[in-house]
Amino acid sequence: MNDTPKLVALLDTLMPGDGIDWPAAGAHGLADKTWEMARLQPDGEQAISTMISMLPPGFNDLPEDAREAALREIETDEPAIFGSVVSFAYNAYYTDPEVRDVIERVCGYENRPPQPLGYELPPFDESLLDQVKARGPIWRAVPDS
Amino acid sequence: MTERVDVVIVGAGASGAAVAWRFAGAGMSVVCLERGGWIDYDQVPSRSTDWELARQTTHHPNPNIRANEWDYPIDDADAAIKPMMYNAVGGSTLHWGAHFPRFRPSDFRARSLDGVAEDWPLSYGDLAPYYEENDRIMGVAGINGDPGNPHRDPRQMQPLPIGRGAERMANAFDSLGWHWWVSDAAINTEPYGEGRGACNNCGPCDLGCALRARSSTDVTYWPLAVRAGARLVTGARVFEIETDASGKATGVAFCDESGETRRIQASVVVLAANGVGTARLMLLSRSAAHPNGLGNQNDLVGRHLMHHPTGMVTGVFDEPIDGFKGPFATSILCQEFYETDPERDFVRGFQMQLVRSDAPLGTAVGVYLPRVPWGEDHHQRFLDVFGRTASLTVTTEDLPNPENRVTLSSDVTDGDGLPAPKMTYRVDGNTKRMIRFGIDRATEAFEAAGAVETLPQSLLEGAGFHLLGTARMGEDPEVSVVDGNCRVHSAPNVLVVDGSVFVTAAALNPTPTIQAIALRAADALIRDRAGIEVAA
Ligand SMILES: Cc1cc2nc3c(=O)[nH]c(=O)nc-3n(C[C@H](O)[C@H](O)[C@H](O)COP(=O)(O)OP(=O)(O)OC[C@H]3O[C@@H](n4cnc5c(N)ncnc54)[C@H](O)[C@@H]3O)c2cc1C
Repeated sequence: MNDTPKLVALLDTLMPGDGIDWPAAGAHGLADKTWEMARLQPDGEQAISTMISMLPPGFNDLPEDAREAALREIETDEPAIFGSVVSFAYNAYYTDPEVRDVIERVCGYENRPPQPLGYELPPFDESLLDQVKARGPIWRAVPDS
Repeated sequence: MTERVDVVIVGAGASGAAVAWRFAGAGMSVVCLERGGWIDYDQVPSRSTDWELARQTTHHPNPNIRANEWDYPIDDADAAIKPMMYNAVGGSTLHWGAHFPRFRPSDFRARSLDGVAEDWPLSYGDLAPYYEENDRIMGVAGINGDPGNPHRDPRQMQPLPIGRGAERMANAFDSLGWHWWVSDAAINTEPYGEGRGACNNCGPCDLGCALRARSSTDVTYWPLAVRAGARLVTGARVFEIETDASGKATGVAFCDESGETRRIQASVVVLAANGVGTARLMLLSRSAAHPNGLGNQNDLVGRHLMHHPTGMVTGVFDEPIDGFKGPFATSILCQEFYETDPERDFVRGFQMQLVRSDAPLGTAVGVYLPRVPWGEDHHQRFLDVFGRTASLTVTTEDLPNPENRVTLSSDVTDGDGLPAPKMTYRVDGNTKRMIRFGIDRATEAFEAAGAVETLPQSLLEGAGFHLLGTARMGEDPEVSVVDGNCRVHSAPNVLVVDGSVFVTAAALNPTPTIQAIALRAADALIRDRAGIEVAA
């Protein structure tokens, strides 16, 4: 049986998008990548399969609030499996280049690895320490120190 | 023929590297056996777009999750705090945050000052020159003059930039009248050491530093040690310290890279495999003279395992503070609640260390904050928190408890078929009360800083990065495993130089103290070497 439509609906329920900047995770085509993320963890694929098997019949055709209610129930009954699947979904979403573009546009966090550019930060301003310095020593002296 | 050397060292991490340099510099023949290999700086994940995934997989600090070819499994089923370490040349310093505080003088005198635990057989004054020397090799950025600590020599480099979040917290500490200081960090703010560049504030030091700016002993001590003549053998898993009939060590046995068993004979065996690896190796080394494991005649090896049980409060600000910029673990610290106060319902104290914030994926899956909730509000919540948080650790002093321990697992074995170490650990009541108090104080600080939300975590399960106390030092062989110079009481030509020897844990990151103790122990051995009894 093809599980993809159910997984797509599941991803869309987890991260539904906002219709402006953020894409809905399933519609954005992240089902395959979610499996890929699962395969990086021991028992990951099993977690997704179990999760899909717990979805009610016709899950993908349910209205959004009913899908959400179904997921809340599974989250309560099987928190570990549910948590793993959410992590795989987030891993797929937040490493997707187009989602990283959204983050850059909306939050200013550049879509690039930390290296080689790093980041600029202003140097430490030592005058910030004036008040602490004025306080004098606060460590406990012991006879042989 | 079996090779014979003056000194064989097990483990090439923070302590093993330091003593290799010292012994080789004194003209001794030195071989260090390390189970891992050299890391390849061209492959450091911070250069790739999927770098955040590496934190959950190939570069996870927990060896049970990362499980690479150099790792050994650790049975942690009965441990409330899980082990974090790295097995390679450089050891756990390849993953560390490089927060580089020294213990305080009072840390060595918990029994006489506060009536708990034991005093150390050495003092802050004994270690002070070794702290300075170690600082010079590791390279420290910071500012001296901290009123929370005794005088120290000028730091090698200017401090790191602390960022907007730390500035807000510094002002908050000032408004509350509390101590704070800019952290000493073993991170270059200018080129320092051989081939080591300056930090460019990229953030994930834990993935290995592409610029070699974040100190790790593969780039600090090891080049010097090798030049001084030390020989480093990688892929070498030591499984036994061999002894003669009188109990003195004759050398070690190990599996080499191809799986062959080999031996090295040595006048002195130095154990630097960390608080878990060293205890395991001592327990594995059973012989007629040491039927319960080397140095374990009083059933003390592996006992008194200490961590720094850590609570955390994350504050969310109403403005972007770009917390993903800058080394994740180092900016400022607060030691206002470090010493015992009889007014409180716990003894000893804690440090608060400011941690910067996470990148997008870390924010979403939840490291410093709970996971961003899924569903309709997911995207808005992400926007509310991403790049807007800072976190304060409540890093507590763990009192030694003989029931917290490392033993040999009866269920789990490593790739060579040897019993894995098993950690048994629970958090005691004193610590729980201290964390509760600390979380209230950290919350107060964030409120004073104008945080719009504060989120506490009462215990970080993944805080097993400081592995201490499992072969404690002391003058009395009945209650300690090694003496004040780190020599095993019942096998004086065996030295333990890693965090296993700690008598108490203090409430501060331990590595500068581990390395200072190791250098001091090496000097004592070099000084006394003519008088050290070696195996016939
Ligand atoms: C995520 C993380 C963050 C940290 N942050 C900080 C920090 O900010 N500040 C701080 O002070 N400390 C920090 N630490 C702790 C610090 O890394 C350790 O205190 C320090 O590295 C311990 O030094 P060591 O020499 O005892 O052992 P390690 O550095 O762990 O080295 C032990 C070595 O022994 C090898 N080994 C083990 N068994 C064998 C065997 N049987 N045969 C051969 N080789 C063996 C291992 O492969 C390893 O390379 C952090 C640790 C982690 C994991």
